[in-house]
Amino acid sequence: MFMQLTLSGLAQGAIYALIALSLTVVYRSTTVVNFGHGDFVMAGAFLSYVLVVLGGVAFLPAGALAVVAMFVLGVLFNRGLIRPILGGPHIGLALMCIAGGYVLRGIARMVWGREVLPMPPVFDMPPIFFGSLVITGDAIVIISTVLVLLLCFFGLLALTDLGKMVQAVYQSPRGARLIGLNVDRFNDVSWGVGAALGALGGILVAPVTLLHPDLGASFLIKGFAAMTLGGFGSLGGAVLGGVLLGIGEQYAGAYLDSSLIEITAYVIIVLVLFVRPQGLLGRKAVVKV
Amino acid sequence: MKMPTARQRRLRTILFWAVPAILLLVPLGTNAYTQFIVNGMLISTLVTLGFTIVIGNLGQLAFANTAFFGIGAYGSAILAAKLGVPWLLTIPIAGVFGAAGGFLASAAALRGIRSYYLAIITLAFGELMRWSYLHAKPLTGGTDGLPMPRETLFGTSLTDDTVKFYVFLVVTVLLVKATANLLASRFGRAVMAVRENEVATASLAIPTSRVILVTFIWSGFVVGCAGALFARHIGHVFPESFGMLHLIASFAMVLVGGLGSVLGAVLGAVMLTALPEYLRAFPGMEELFFGLIVAAVLVALPMGLASLLRRLSPIFVERFYREAR
Amino acid sequence: MSDLLIVEGLSVRFSGLTALEDVSFRLNRGEVRAVIGPNGAGKSTLFNAISGYVTPTSGTVHLNGEPLTVLTPHAIAERGIRRTFQNGGLFPALTVLENVLTGLHAQTEGTFFDILFGRRKALDSEAANIARARDLLKLMSMEHMADTPAGDLSGGQQRIVEIVRTVASDPPVLLLDEPAVGLSPVARDQMMDIIRRLAGEKGVGILLIEHAVELVMAVADKILVMAAGKRIAQGTPDEIRQDRAVLEAYLGHA
Repeated sequence: MFMQLTLSGLAQGAIYALIALSLTVVYRSTTVVNFGHGDFVMAGAFLSYVLVVLGGVAFLPAGALAVVAMFVLGVLFNRGLIRPILGGPHIGLALMCIAGGYVLRGIARMVWGREVLPMPPVFDMPPIFFGSLVITGDAIVIISTVLVLLLCFFGLLALTDLGKMVQAVYQSPRGARLIGLNVDRFNDVSWGVGAALGALGGILVAPVTLLHPDLGASFLIKGFAAMTLGGFGSLGGAVLGGVLLGIGEQYAGAYLDSSLIEITAYVIIVLVLFVRPQGLLGRKAVVKV
Repeated sequence: MKMPTARQRRLRTILFWAVPAILLLVPLGTNAYTQFIVNGMLISTLVTLGFTIVIGNLGQLAFANTAFFGIGAYGSAILAAKLGVPWLLTIPIAGVFGAAGGFLASAAALRGIRSYYLAIITLAFGELMRWSYLHAKPLTGGTDGLPMPRETLFGTSLTDDTVKFYVFLVVTVLLVKATANLLASRFGRAVMAVRENEVATASLAIPTSRVILVTFIWSGFVVGCAGALFARHIGHVFPESFGMLHLIASFAMVLVGGLGSVLGAVLGAVMLTALPEYLRAFPGMEELFFGLIVAAVLVALPMGLASLLRRLSPIFVERFYREAR
Repeated sequence: MSDLLIVEGLSVRFSGLTALEDVSFRLNRGEVRAVIGPNGAGKSTLFNAISGYVTPTSGTVHLNGEPLTVLTPHAIAERGIRRTFQNGGLFPALTVLENVLTGLHAQTEGTFFDILFGRRKALDSEAANIARARDLLKLMSMEHMADTPAGDLSGGQQRIVEIVRTVASDPPVLLLDEPAVGLSPVARDQMMDIIRRLAGEKGVGILLIEHAVELVMAVADKILVMAAGKRIAQGTPDEIRQDRAVLEAYLGHA
């Protein structure tokens, strides 16, 4: 039982980690928290669904296409709507992100209507049995995909100059500009990567959940909870927070009350911000008079 | 900056009371459906007003508005349906419930949880409330919601939209006037000072924590009262009414009218309440419309319609409705 | 007559780092006392500790015999110690007049409910304050800028408005944090004149952080020299000019 819960928690947590990581990528480049990110996740799932079910494309190429499309959308969103107001108050930026998300949601609902649609099963593998432990094909695909992706992501940051660039822009965009970094293009790419990673999260859950235009909202909150728990702005923290949240939800649901699964994330947000606002791996913000 | 003259200020006072006086005649020219929509506009006005003082005047990124609204609506419905309290009496009580919600939200802000963090925690607060409406079945009826009991007022049934209109109008006018008084006073100036520079504000013997606390509480009170009106307006309170779509609609109303403007709150609410009613027939159009309008206003007219009117005549200049610099 | 402001053994430590160590001094009515020292000497920490923005690790601050050390910044300001800020503390979106009025917030009558119901009491008190704020601006020949947003003023004008706002409530003690930084020579002279008048005519006790040595020598009655969080000398401008320790620590060439 315990192992089974941990395993499904890991699969869920991998998705949350991906979403929190993509939120963090965007946050670290432009210091914008994308309040529309849940709808990017939904759009990824939606696109792959359309390609698979209506376009007859196989799941793998469909997923790849959707990720590329979402990358482009992320870049365009940053260029067209975020960059013009980037220096302005946080309220405008937060609202712009929400507005962008709602446009995506509106489009999805126009095409999709109010129905809830199941994706045909794609990970058609027989489950593996380890004693009483059942490992489903979905869990294997999700966990291994995310694992490979994280290795690539953090490997790239550690082994190339990219990591230094990410750090430089986060510390001081102006300083980064002064030493010759193209911050505008960096921000474009960050938004693109953020949108693509978020969409990938949506694509991975598409086969295992029911799809509907509002599915992004709950993923947004899960992403926030994972980020907050891990430490806002910390890339590693986002991953750690996501995994812990996924597992925590399963435990809370099984050992306490099943209705608690839905609110574990909210409770984590409230508790962490009140008790330890810097999260597990984040640094404490210093306020200067 | 051009300030209104004494004469213009007097004219403004006359206008302020003339508008509701004229509105008293509205039921003569409406059918049941248009009356229902006009009633909705009055509720939206209060919701927008309560929202704008927190995100516009105080400059805090708090999204707890939907929570206040739901608390007010469920508070009113539970009192009326379970305890038999006359609805009219539940309005101020719902306001106090909303104010308690405001107190909770301000506790986060006063704890130093600001900006995006405040947005996230207040979003979580709203969703936690919605979860409670769904799961506190004995009180709230869960997914089935809670119907408002039949009641009469001055011998007329409270299902009648004209009767509701007069009650809504009185409540709205009183709360708008009180809020306008508040914002035009030293208190409104202190609110603006906190937005501009909280550290310096404290050095002027202004209790910044109390300013933040009171602003949230007043916001919660106004929106809580609106919730009580809403419960009677639709006659049946459902959890779905207090979700994210309500939030984006409120954002759009605040922004289109003008962040931090009382006049703007009224304008935004009146303009954007009717449209969704017509759009509802086409799935997705509501989201698309609100999303596009918010994005367009943010890029093209960041201070909303009230800033255009302000340029037209000093009569429309509000004492502390300013863009952030 | 006893001293207006008494600071005794004030120390501030941030996680092991000592920013201020055992600083004591007294300030009289009408006295201008300058605090000088190299960057990082603890001057700003001293101001923050007196005005309540930083909690002292030990030591006390008394104003007219009343201890202030445990109070919040707004409560200390209410007791009568007002300050300006090094980076400018004006509210850029508010007009000059409104900025000055924020300085009179605690002097305005009317409770929350008086304001809510638009009662005369609150409105009259506000009108009286507006008249008073206009008079203060007139004294500085700034009445024509009353309705200009403070963000549109020049640096020198902003410094002056900030001082007007700070003294509007007639505080007995004023802490000025680098009031002359970035000012033109003309504006600097005007600032010196303002400081002298506040101390001389109104009897305000002024504590002044300033890097402009000639301004300090011209207006200060006493000078407190700090280095590395400690007081290294104290005396009249003439005494300080000849102090060996000061020359070594502050001017760096003895």
